Amino acid sequence: MSEREAYVGQPRPRREDHRLLAGLARYVDDIKVAGALHAAFLRSPHGHARIVSIDVTAALELLGVVTVVTGEDLAEDVTDLTVAPPIEGLRPTSMPVMPVDRVRFQGDLVACVVAADRYVAEEAMERIVVEYAELPAVSDMFAALRDDSVLVDEALGTNLVARRVHRAGDPEARLAAAPRVIEAEFHQQRQTHAPIETRGCIAQWDPGREHLTLVIGSQVPHPLRTQIVRRLGLRDSQVSVSSPDVGGSFGQKIALYREELAICALARRLGRPVRWKEDRMENLLAACHAREQWCRTRAAVDDTGRILGLTLEMVEDFGAYCFYPANYISEVVGIILTGQYGIADYGYEIRVALTNKCGVGPMRAPMAMASWVMEGTLDVIARRLGLDPAEVRRRNMLADQALPYVMPGGETLLDVNCAETMETALDEIGYAAHRPHDDGRYLYGLGLCNVVESTTYGSRFYKNSGIGGSGHEAARIIVEPDGTVSASVGMAAAGQGYETTFAQVVADGVGVRPDDVAVTLGHSDTSPYGMGSRGGRGATAGGGALYLCAAEVRAHLLRLAAHRLGLNATDGLGLRDGRIVWVRAGGSEETGLDVADLARTAYFDPLALPEGMRPGLEFYRTYDPPPMTFSNSTHACRVRIARETGRLEILDYLVVENCGTVINPLVVHGQQAGAVAMGLSGTLLENVVYDQAGRNLSATFADYTIATVADIPAIRIIARATPSSRTPLGLKGMAEGGVMGAIGAVANAVNDALSVVGAQVTCLPLTPMRLHAAIHDGIGRAAQGQEG
Amino acid sequence: MIISLTVNGEVRDVAVEPHYLLSDVLRDRLDLTATHVGCEQGICGACTVLVDGQPARACLLFAVQMEGHAVTTLEGGAPSVELRALRAAFHTHHAQQCGFCTPGILMTFAAYLRDHPDCDEAGVRAVLGGNLCRCTGYGPIVRAIMAASAALREVADV
Repeated sequence: MSEREAYVGQPRPRREDHRLLAGLARYVDDIKVAGALHAAFLRSPHGHARIVSIDVTAALELLGVVTVVTGEDLAEDVTDLTVAPPIEGLRPTSMPVMPVDRVRFQGDLVACVVAADRYVAEEAMERIVVEYAELPAVSDMFAALRDDSVLVDEALGTNLVARRVHRAGDPEARLAAAPRVIEAEFHQQRQTHAPIETRGCIAQWDPGREHLTLVIGSQVPHPLRTQIVRRLGLRDSQVSVSSPDVGGSFGQKIALYREELAICALARRLGRPVRWKEDRMENLLAACHAREQWCRTRAAVDDTGRILGLTLEMVEDFGAYCFYPANYISEVVGIILTGQYGIADYGYEIRVALTNKCGVGPMRAPMAMASWVMEGTLDVIARRLGLDPAEVRRRNMLADQALPYVMPGGETLLDVNCAETMETALDEIGYAAHRPHDDGRYLYGLGLCNVVESTTYGSRFYKNSGIGGSGHEAARIIVEPDGTVSASVGMAAAGQGYETTFAQVVADGVGVRPDDVAVTLGHSDTSPYGMGSRGGRGATAGGGALYLCAAEVRAHLLRLAAHRLGLNATDGLGLRDGRIVWVRAGGSEETGLDVADLARTAYFDPLALPEGMRPGLEFYRTYDPPPMTFSNSTHACRVRIARETGRLEILDYLVVENCGTVINPLVVHGQQAGAVAMGLSGTLLENVVYDQAGRNLSATFADYTIATVADIPAIRIIARATPSSRTPLGLKGMAEGGVMGAIGAVANAVNDALSVVGAQVTCLPLTPMRLHAAIHDGIGRAAQGQEG
Repeated sequence: MIISLTVNGEVRDVAVEPHYLLSDVLRDRLDLTATHVGCEQGICGACTVLVDGQPARACLLFAVQMEGHAVTTLEGGAPSVELRALRAAFHTHHAQQCGFCTPGILMTFAAYLRDHPDCDEAGVRAVLGGNLCRCTGYGPIVRAIMAASAALREVADV
């Protein structure tokens, strides 16, 4: 084993880049399909309305229009989606492929036009006459949870689609007995993924083979196929899902959405290829939203700031439709909230509300709010008690000797170095010299956020949490007859650089050069059935499965090599860069054999194989990671806020991180910085806004602002990595923690600065308007002699 | 109607309707799919091409406006020295992840580096403000453009 890990750890520039930089990449909309028809969807202009009638006559009269279908038409072809896992407190929901008689949010589907091209389809859409009877809408989750609220889904009889309660120890008793009880509130605004490539797909039905091929940018080709076959009444063998280059996903390209299913159904019905490309307004209005969550913590504390018990109350807005079990996102916040802090008495209560808004799903770090809520709570405790925020963290943080530690949420924390990352961050950011202050023009603050990032969820987590599903991943490696290695796994890339990094993993696992490893992903026929790309599971689940599979390939090749060399054991033999070598102390010696020689034997001269060894060189291996792997980090930043304008500037931003073994530092650094940028963008700018009637006021990039280069500061990333003790290669995963830390670090820094004027903010985004109001409310209160 | 325009150095006659966008005609009629469409509103910059050598949003132009003009896309015939330098630097600095916004950035800066051989980082940042990237956080893009600019100056000095 000693000669391994030659390529893992190298900062290799990506092999994907050539096609991206040459303009030769193939995203869905770049793929030509002869004879394909184009679809466009008519969407509801109302937040909530009954569909009285739909008249498509004039649309059908337009030259080039092939068909116009409504929800009623498609109901014959497609079964409803029922989300009803056996989870206590979760109400089952059901939805048709397109609404039949009632639209539940602005952007909801009303009809689909299929025409010769998109221009014609859009023109036809304008000719459809729909009579709506507008209904009162509920666009606020707290209002939705009141008894007198309008019902979003009448079949439920309530908007409370999920309520989950968890208790460890007796937090209420601790709160009742504590010297101090400190409350803190946090409100995260609705956001959306906004990949620069919107959704889209091409469906082809082959009537002779009775086979559907769907080309779609997807994170999860196999689970998507499972959804399609269930909804269309097909069998797994009748559907192929192919995900080409994907222009960003961030969680938006996991679910089987209604538009995509309708396109599949139409392709089958018409017997002709049908394609759809979402426009930006549709993407912002109706693809998938995320993150709208409110939290309140109550901490029982002693005078030293030690937390004796903690409760979390959480409300989440899930929008109008459930594409996921409604507890799925908020539950993880509850489970991991306490992070690296030793809190035995802990409880959470989560309520999830339906509203007349776009449905929500996981967005890069769906559990992101956890870090802000925990670290923000610690800051509130420090301020109330007049203590140093870093010291309060130290007093509550688990000692290294306390690991592994069963968190009160039920998962086991281990292989983290939280004290080390925090102390390093404090040094690097200049914490000791910092005091929040005001120089007359600016308020200055410093924020800390420790992050425990749940990266990879194994099947045991899904079973324990009742969410359902599997956390395993599958790898297939073929040594081709010419000795090249083809590797595949059930994940699908959207910019993560898997083709490069997985080649490094396989190269080390087998003992070949990365250039001799081809990584093919994203096709349900050629990749093994895996759970796809989500969370931070790429490295640990995907890389882990590949590494284990590669080890089997190596062992097999060495057995074959030993036989060719006239040996009856592989002792002393190794594989280096594709050559079979004698491993000697201080070096190696060539045997003259290489992988190509062995492959020729395996494929073309099977009689020369050792007894019992079968011809060919194909290997399949699955891997189910531990219930939950954790990476950890500390984010720290210094900010200043202009008193006159409320403008926020980030003066220094750093992350001290431990994501375990790093496969490719160049790629990992890119993922970490990108995650921080997405977190900052969400904290500072992004906001999906609905009015009271459920109208979306933010459905263009001029209104839904995402960060430009002017908004993102330099991000210093300092590695303090330690390997996982429980995964292949010591991999842990990353790429979401940056989002988690950015929210908490910036929000905490802002509140540190605002503390100078006795002000606080609890709502995101931290826009100049909000900060300006907070500063001047604080100054006003101080002038009136009130406490902040 | 038939329009005549020069695309990547070749004169092309294309049948279009008056309301067809340049971005759609490039992609769907001329099969030049390197030009990506991200917002159809001129904000994201993914569709940036060169029109008579200057950056322009292909989604904000009608194809008929291109009669008699020269359009250059990322596919563009022989790449300019600036484009070659940018490609090399983007690769080295990991300046693209999903790559969807990348063509627009490359076209923008192929023109910018040509016109501003002595550009500084502030100038690059000001121009890059016209392109949205959802993956990288922009840091590697800025570093790559500055590296490309430095490499071009080195070549020019020789």
